[in-house]
Amino acid sequence: MSSFTSRVLLAVLLTAATLAYGAEPELLEPDKAFRFSARLKDPRSIEVNYQIAPGYYLYRDKFRFVLSPAGAKPGAAQLPAGAKHRDEFFGEVETYRGNISIVVPFELAEAGVPAIRLAVTSQGCADAGVCYIPHEQKAELKLAALGPGAIRSDAAAAPTGEDDRVAALLGGGFWLAVASFFGFGLLLSFTPCVLPMVPILSGIIIGAGQPVTRTKGLLLAAVYVLGMAITYAIAGVAAGLSGAMLSAVLQNPWVLGAFAAIFVALALAMFGFYELQLPVALQSRLSSASNRLPGGHGVGVFVMGVLSALIVGPCVAAPLAGALLYIGQSRDVVLGGSALFAMALGMGVPLLAVGASAGALLPKAGPWMETVKRFFGTLLLAVAIYLVSPFTPLPVQMFLWATLLIGTAVYLRAIDPLPPHAHGFLRFAKVVGLIALLAGVAYLIGAFSGSRDILQPLSGLRATATGDAGHETPFQRVSSLSDLDARVRAAAGKPVLLDFYADWCVSCKEMERFTFSDERVKTRFRDIVLLQADVTANSPEHAALLKRFRLFGPPGIIFFDREGREIQGLRVIGFQPADRFVTVLDHALNFK
Amino acid sequence: MSKVRALALFAAVAVASAMGGAAYSLWSRSGATVVDRTLSSQAIVERVYAARLADLNGASQGLGQWRGQVLVVNFWATWCAPCREEIPGFVNLQERYGSRGLKFVGIAIDQPDKVAEFAREFRINYPLLTGGLETMDLLRQAGNRAGVLPYTLVIDRGGNLVSREPGGLKEARLEGIIRPLL
Repeated sequence: MSSFTSRVLLAVLLTAATLAYGAEPELLEPDKAFRFSARLKDPRSIEVNYQIAPGYYLYRDKFRFVLSPAGAKPGAAQLPAGAKHRDEFFGEVETYRGNISIVVPFELAEAGVPAIRLAVTSQGCADAGVCYIPHEQKAELKLAALGPGAIRSDAAAAPTGEDDRVAALLGGGFWLAVASFFGFGLLLSFTPCVLPMVPILSGIIIGAGQPVTRTKGLLLAAVYVLGMAITYAIAGVAAGLSGAMLSAVLQNPWVLGAFAAIFVALALAMFGFYELQLPVALQSRLSSASNRLPGGHGVGVFVMGVLSALIVGPCVAAPLAGALLYIGQSRDVVLGGSALFAMALGMGVPLLAVGASAGALLPKAGPWMETVKRFFGTLLLAVAIYLVSPFTPLPVQMFLWATLLIGTAVYLRAIDPLPPHAHGFLRFAKVVGLIALLAGVAYLIGAFSGSRDILQPLSGLRATATGDAGHETPFQRVSSLSDLDARVRAAAGKPVLLDFYADWCVSCKEMERFTFSDERVKTRFRDIVLLQADVTANSPEHAALLKRFRLFGPPGIIFFDREGREIQGLRVIGFQPADRFVTVLDHALNFK
Repeated sequence: MSKVRALALFAAVAVASAMGGAAYSLWSRSGATVVDRTLSSQAIVERVYAARLADLNGASQGLGQWRGQVLVVNFWATWCAPCREEIPGFVNLQERYGSRGLKFVGIAIDQPDKVAEFAREFRINYPLLTGGLETMDLLRQAGNRAGVLPYTLVIDRGGNLVSREPGGLKEARLEGIIRPLL
C-alpha cells in the first residue's frame, strides 16, 4: 500500500523534474537504490539484507555470491519468494521490492579463518524505466566474533536467538517453510499454553448433549482446527501485508480481558449455571442445515476454533514473533497465510486425536461427566486468571487464585464430613480438596499481607531482614532511539543489554521474576549496562525502537558489545530460564 | 502605466529565476548522481571509437570502423525490460535512415546466446556486440557512472557527441535528434 503511494509520489516527482528541465529522470545511485548489508547469522551462514528503495526492484534469479578466501565456499542461497511477473522474453520472472533477506550458508575448508569476504552481485531496475548493470557490493564478516571453537562446534551449541532459529529454518523453499511451520505447530501443541484448549474442545463435544460417535468427535475436532487454522492464516496474511505489531494487538489488556470474560462464561456453563446455546429460532434454522453438516454444532465449533486461535496467540509469543518476523520481512502474503495455516494444523493434530477419543469415550460415560465438566470449568477459570494476570495487581491476582482454590475445595467437599465407610475415591477427593483449601487460604493471606511473589504467597510474612535491595534489577529506562544511542555510547567499555518490556508482556514478567532474580544472573548483571525500553504505550518513538531491531513487540533482549555494536545472533526472544540465560550473558561478556 | 510594466517585469524576472534555479538544482543533482560530467564529450567519443568488442559470431569489432557515420550507440541487456521496449523503434529507424548514413550499434551487457536469441526474435538489423567487464568499463567511461541501462549515445559524422540518453528513448524523440545530423 505504502509502496504504491510512494511509487505514485515518485512518478509525480519524476514528472515534475522532467517538466523542469526536460530530460534525465532523477535516479538513485545503485548503492542507494539497493542498500546492502550482511551479517553473520550463525557460524555457518550469512544473512544478506537489501533495503530496496520504493520504485526500484531486484531480480530474484540474478544474484551471485562469491566468498573469499578460497577455503570458504557458499552453499545454495536461500532466496525468499518474490513477486511473479510475466516477461515477454524470459517467461516468468520473480522480483523483490522493499526489504528482503537472503541466507547464504557456507562451508570452511579450514578452521581458524578470522574473517571472510562476501561479494554479492545483483541486478535490478527502477520503475522510472531504467535498469542497472550487474552491481557488486561487498562485506567483510569477522568469524572470530563468534568466539573460538564456534566454527568447529555444532551450530546448536552456539547460543542463537530463538527468532533466528525459526527464521533460519525457513530460509528454504516454500513447501519446506510450510512443512516446518506444521512441525512448529505440533511442538507448540505440547506447550502448557495450548493444553487448556483440549478441555474447551471436549467441553463443546460434551455440550452437544447427545451421543457423540468417534467419527463425529473427529469431525467436530477437525472443524475446530479448521477455524483455528483459518484465523492463523489471516494473521499470517496480515503480517505479510503490514508487519504490524501483531502480538501487541493480541496482548492488549482489552483483548485479553475479553478473552478472560469468555473463559469465565464458558466455565460458568460448565458448572451448570446455564446452558450455553443459540436462540431456539436460530437453532431450528441451523439444525436443518446441520443435518447436512457432519457435526451437530459445526458452526459453533468452528467459531470456537477461531476464538481459540486468538486466545492461544498471546501464549506462543516467541515462535509467533519469529514466524511473523520472517513473513513480515518476506512480505509474502501467500507464504504467510499458508505457513500459519500449516502451523495451526500442526497444533490441531493432538486436538484431533483427543476429539476422536473423546467422541469414542463419552457416550459410555455416566455421572462422572458432571465432575469432568466441573474440572474443565475450574481449568477455564484458571486460564481466565492467567490471561488477566499480566495487567492485574498482584494482591488481586492472589485473591482470584484464592477464590478459585477455595471454591474448588468446597466443590470437592473438603469441609464436609466424610460418610463412615467412604469410598477410596471420595477420600482422595477430600485430600485434593484440603490441599486446595490450604493453598487458597495461603493465597488469601498473601493477598492481605502484601506478598510480592505469586509462587511464595506467604513471603510477605517473612521478616524483611534481607530487604528489597536485591529485588529490583537496576535497569535504566530508555524511551527513544537517541536516548538509546546516548546510553550505549555512555556505556563504553561495558557490554549493554537492552530489554524490551511492556506491562502486557507475560514472558517479560516471567523473565523478571524467574530469570533476572537468579543469583548467577544478578552477579553477571553487575558487569553489564542494563537498559530497558518500556513500550507499553506504543508511541511512535517506541515503534521506531522496535523497528530498528526488527521486533514486532516485546519480549526481546538485544545485546551490544563493548564498542556499542549489536552482537548479532545473540538475541533472546521469549522466556528463557536462568541456566540458559547465564550462558547467553557469558557470551555477551566474553565477546571481543 | 510604466509602474505596472516595471512590476510585471520584476515578476517575470523573479519567476524565471526561480524556475531556472529549481531546474538547475534538479539538473545538477541528477547530473551528480547519474552522469559524470567531468569527462569531456570529446574524450567520451574517443573512448567509444577506441573500443573493441566481440560480435555475435565471436569476431572482434572495433567501433572506430563507423567513424564518419551518424552513430547511435545503445547499451542494453535482454533482462532489462525498458531496454527491450525501445529496440523495435531502433530497428525502424535503422531501416528508414540506414541508406543515408545512420548506424545503430547495440552493446549488450549480457550473455551472447541470449542476445543472439533476442536478435533473431526482434529481427535486429544492426550490429550487436557483447562483453563482460570491459563493456561495463566502457559504459562508465562513456559518462554513465551509475551504470544505468538503457544508455544511448548519439555521435554525428564529425565525431561530436550530440546526445546521451539514460533511460528509454521514444522513436519519435530519437528521430528528432538524428534527422538534422543526416
